[in-house]
Amino acid sequence: MKTIVVAAALTVLATTAGCASRKGFEKEGFAFGCPIGDTEIGSMEALIDAKVAQEGRRTNVIVTEMRCTMSGDRMKIEANLNNDAAQIRRVAYKFRWIDPEGMRAAEEEAWKPVLMYEKSNHVVSAIAPSNKAVDFRLLFMGQD
Amino acid sequence: MKRLTVPARLAAVCALALLVLGGCAKDTVRYGDARGVETVTNEFGSTDLQMIAESMTRSMLDAPIVTANNLPIVTVQEVRNKTNEYIDTRAITDSIRAELQKSGKVRFAVDAAGMANQKEEIDRQQDDAYYDPEQTAEKGRMVGAQYRLEGNITSIVKQAKDVKDVYYKFNLQMWNIRNGLLEWTDEKEIRKTTTKG
Repeated sequence: MKTIVVAAALTVLATTAGCASRKGFEKEGFAFGCPIGDTEIGSMEALIDAKVAQEGRRTNVIVTEMRCTMSGDRMKIEANLNNDAAQIRRVAYKFRWIDPEGMRAAEEEAWKPVLMYEKSNHVVSAIAPSNKAVDFRLLFMGQD
Repeated sequence: MKRLTVPARLAAVCALALLVLGGCAKDTVRYGDARGVETVTNEFGSTDLQMIAESMTRSMLDAPIVTANNLPIVTVQEVRNKTNEYIDTRAITDSIRAELQKSGKVRFAVDAAGMANQKEEIDRQQDDAYYDPEQTAEKGRMVGAQYRLEGNITSIVKQAKDVKDVYYKFNLQMWNIRNGLLEWTDEKEIRKTTTKG
């Protein structure tokens, strides 16, 4: 009898643990609050791969974390840039906003220059220009 | 007349060739990225204007007065240039106004600078017998703004032998015209350093 009770308890525990949602993936079609559509994204690294692109001059500054939230009816994004080098690095970044049809939701933003100190992090943030922007890409390039 | 030595002749020919080639050299013209990072000098430039306009617009669109979806009516007043250089502050406020208007969250009433043209057009329609009286703009129908935008741009310039450092601070405020309350304000700071060599 005791064995049966323990086994039942273990089964319940295993079942509920399996149902528990992973943090950042609670809402379908979103990862860490950021829209991912049908893309299979299972980690922060995969999200960054999907949302970040380098243009122009390459740089070893990387994005290490990204989170999105809604501010009213507009998307708000924060991304952490990391310079792991022992030298100051200069980069420029901009967000590209995409509407539900996959077209540009707004005019192209200006490149914004950022100075990154040695071994440092810098958080860049943006708020969508309108509620038509339902997706985005973070673009950045080296300025050294 | 004394004849030139061979090296002197060679030097003269080279100098002449250089002059001719220099005269033939063409200036190159290329289109650039209007939204690229511009670092030609450390005076106020297009990147600064674009960054300020974008930052202020996004911040204002996040202000409770705008997110309440009441379509506030705003008029643009002066942005005072307190720097030592010439900056067309109207270009900054025009960019901010264009971005805000495109968002569809804010409406703009004619400002003081545009009032003379507005009055002139109403008068022209009113006084001209060629217009259909049913469709002409009437006096006394304009809508006054509920809020006014004003601001300042200041700079601190420091210069040493080989370094010039410029710090800009742009401040924009939205005031409630009826009750005089400050409804929204934000700042954007920019630092640019030029090092010789």
